[in-house]
Amino acid sequence: MVAMTHVDAATASDRSTTARWVMVALSVALVAISIASLFVGATGLSPLGVIGDLVAGRPVDLRAQVVIFDIRLPRLSLGLLVGAALAVSGVVMQGLFRNPLADPGLVGVSAGAGLGAILAIVLGGLLPPAVGTAMGYSLVPIAAFVGGWLSVIALYSISTRGGHTSVATMLLAGIALAALVSALSGIMIYLADDAQLRTLTFWGLGSLAGATWSKVLAAAPLMLVGIFGAPLLARGLNGLALGEPAARHMGIDVQILKRFAILLVSAAVGAAVAVSGGIGFVGIVVPHLLRLSTGPDHRYLLINAALLGAIILILADMVARVIVAPAELPIGIVMAIIGGPFFLWILLRRRGLLEM
Amino acid sequence: MIRSLLLSTLVALPTTALADRVLSIGGSVTEIVYALGEQERLVGRDSTSTFPTEATALPDVGYIRQLSPEGVLSVNPDLIISETGAGPLEAVELLRAADVPFIEVADGYTEEAVLQKIRDVAKALDVTEKGEDLAASVSADLDEAEAVAANVEPLRVLFILSTAGGRITAAGENTSASAIIELAGGMNAIQGVEGYKQVSDEAITVAAPDVILMMDRSGDHAASDDDLFAHPAIAGTPAAQTQSVVRMDGLLLLGFGPRVGEAVRTLAGELSETAG
Amino acid sequence: MLTARNLTVHLGHRQILHGVDFTAKAGEVTAIVGPNGSGKTTLLRAITGDVGYTGDARIEGLDVARAKPWELAARRGVLSQFTGVAFPFTVAEIVRLGQSNGISGGGPDLGERALARVGLSGFGHRPYHDLSGGEQQRTQLARVLAQVWDPTGKDGANWLILDEPVASLDIAHQLEVMTLARDFALSGGGVVAVMHDLNLTAMFAQSVALMAEGRVVTQGDIGHVFTDENLSAAYACDLKVNTAPANATYILPHAASA
Repeated sequence: MVAMTHVDAATASDRSTTARWVMVALSVALVAISIASLFVGATGLSPLGVIGDLVAGRPVDLRAQVVIFDIRLPRLSLGLLVGAALAVSGVVMQGLFRNPLADPGLVGVSAGAGLGAILAIVLGGLLPPAVGTAMGYSLVPIAAFVGGWLSVIALYSISTRGGHTSVATMLLAGIALAALVSALSGIMIYLADDAQLRTLTFWGLGSLAGATWSKVLAAAPLMLVGIFGAPLLARGLNGLALGEPAARHMGIDVQILKRFAILLVSAAVGAAVAVSGGIGFVGIVVPHLLRLSTGPDHRYLLINAALLGAIILILADMVARVIVAPAELPIGIVMAIIGGPFFLWILLRRRGLLEM
Repeated sequence: MIRSLLLSTLVALPTTALADRVLSIGGSVTEIVYALGEQERLVGRDSTSTFPTEATALPDVGYIRQLSPEGVLSVNPDLIISETGAGPLEAVELLRAADVPFIEVADGYTEEAVLQKIRDVAKALDVTEKGEDLAASVSADLDEAEAVAANVEPLRVLFILSTAGGRITAAGENTSASAIIELAGGMNAIQGVEGYKQVSDEAITVAAPDVILMMDRSGDHAASDDDLFAHPAIAGTPAAQTQSVVRMDGLLLLGFGPRVGEAVRTLAGELSETAG
Repeated sequence: MLTARNLTVHLGHRQILHGVDFTAKAGEVTAIVGPNGSGKTTLLRAITGDVGYTGDARIEGLDVARAKPWELAARRGVLSQFTGVAFPFTVAEIVRLGQSNGISGGGPDLGERALARVGLSGFGHRPYHDLSGGEQQRTQLARVLAQVWDPTGKDGANWLILDEPVASLDIAHQLEVMTLARDFALSGGGVVAVMHDLNLTAMFAQSVALMAEGRVVTQGDIGHVFTDENLSAAYACDLKVNTAPANATYILPHAASA
């Protein structure tokens, strides 16, 4: 892993130099891995053949074309976006809550999105047939997105009094909301039939297998807003690391910062969860690895997290789709199996740095 | 949609060669393909297709509800026959985009539904006559089994799907388990609940089953007889007093495929043994 | 000029400040002293815009209640009693946060110069969390200094507002920090500091506000404020100004500044 070049007693300027080099290295790696991912899949088809045929004007095998352009390419796009969106959202949430263990889910997006998805899966059949048909398989993602947003709005209103948002209240309200959501989900699970139950289980595990161009196009704008909007918060998040008063003393409008951070994260995570189900891990591990190697300066952290998040998700998806081919594992499982021990190893190796 | 695809396939078939790269999705569909003697045409199966044992040698494209489109295309099928509920919908859509005929056959827990499923699969494979023959023999087999079952004393049967975590998930009405119990001359002990549900300990006491019916398997769903009858909800039932538990292969019992007659006969036999 | 007129602050249902008047002039170190709970820090938090108040507070004419955070940040740096740092920053990175958020601009070596001023030369690469409490506090002071490096700007004086800046420091560093504050004032800047050490206050402050029970009892130069009656009344114990105790050793830091 390129990013793991570790500089022990690096001076501050060394760290930012390292961070810039890591940025370059990650960009190169991302391009390489993205291209590689187009070559990997159960069919063993190579994009070169299809592109060669297209360029030469030869008739293209329909199946090969579908595999490359309608299966692997949208899936790569979705992996890039979801990985970057989740990692960046993790950095923003950790900066906002001033806690390296904060998860993008803390603003209630994941819980709300989960409930939305479950409602859609279980009760989708009760919709008037015309509506159901019109929405087709976008029903679940749309419901997940709406659910995510509603819960963010609820949490934000609860924790904002007199123009001041208390992140501690938000955290606690988030826990209460999660409990409520899990109770409602429990009711839905009771009502669900066997088939719906299994759909629920798989949705919860997260997967990029359902990637289609229509999904990518619908979710991309929101995730892009999060990915490219977040670096604008870098200065504010750096200041916030010293606490709200110090940030304010340094000229940061903390309330505006919080509002934008929550807005960006809920857009990005809402969209990501809606199209990929619950993919955990990226949001906590990627920022953590980068902080260990290049320091907590958000100006570099946010950009590097986007790159590394995308890389890790694409790699995990490549494993997910070939390891039990022609079947495939849900990506959430792959992430946990590969990422869990790796993360533990990092933690044990660098235990000293964590005592802060 | 399904119907039009079915029609287009049927129209197309006489002019093209017989589909000889068939992907079968769903345990009962795979069983039917084997029962029709058309297994040579199979190139893949899903993870629920575990009978006959030879079928497990075929490439497994994963769980019926979580198909990977590229995985499915990698076995290069020219026909996909599936039970209802194949998904995710996006995957099915992509398979259609890749011009792979995708035929869904309806499920059902009655004799007619089983026979219809056989005919549908046979039609999809363009072996309609073989299908009629198989339907007739399955029908005769089932009738014979039902005649046996008619003599069974109507015991109250509790089908337990799982006892994971000490909580009992049982079969209510409108389930494959309930259907097979009734075909075998028993009576589903759980009434007034739809589907497979977690049921309270009291509900089981009220259901007062004479026999417990379970799937024969290992893992977290498995429970030894001792554990089972020690469960507080079950301990007080007539089934516990007579230590009556029947375990059967899940796909045989609940598959509603060509072996439905065998399933009924086996279960009826076990039940009458318990009653006797 | 930093002025507060008739400031009243409520925290919850409790009234902390009761119509406080307070003035600090550029070119001077103005100390706020008083017993625990007398409202010193609350007064400071009001004039830095951290708590809501009624009344009027201005820094160089800028209305604290209405000014944008960045407008205030351009006029004054604030050192709190304690600043928690959430992530593993290095010392230099912390100081640079002040610089990049402030108006000073300054050269690339401003951070190092600010560290030198607080006696932390060569500490830049150290992880902040490895430092002692006193070193951390001085790092924060360097950060504040980097924010308002120049004592005066084109719109008037810049201000350092310090809440117990020497509380966790050894005596040498106490003197170093107070000298720094005095030099900032001598160069035309303004300094307001909440102080506990009356001796240091007497040494370095040109003006002192004595607080008790949420009010400024009196404000003026040291000679006027530090009298036996004033101090004894405010601190509710018998205090003598300029009198050595009869039977005890005591340390006289005044020699250091001689």
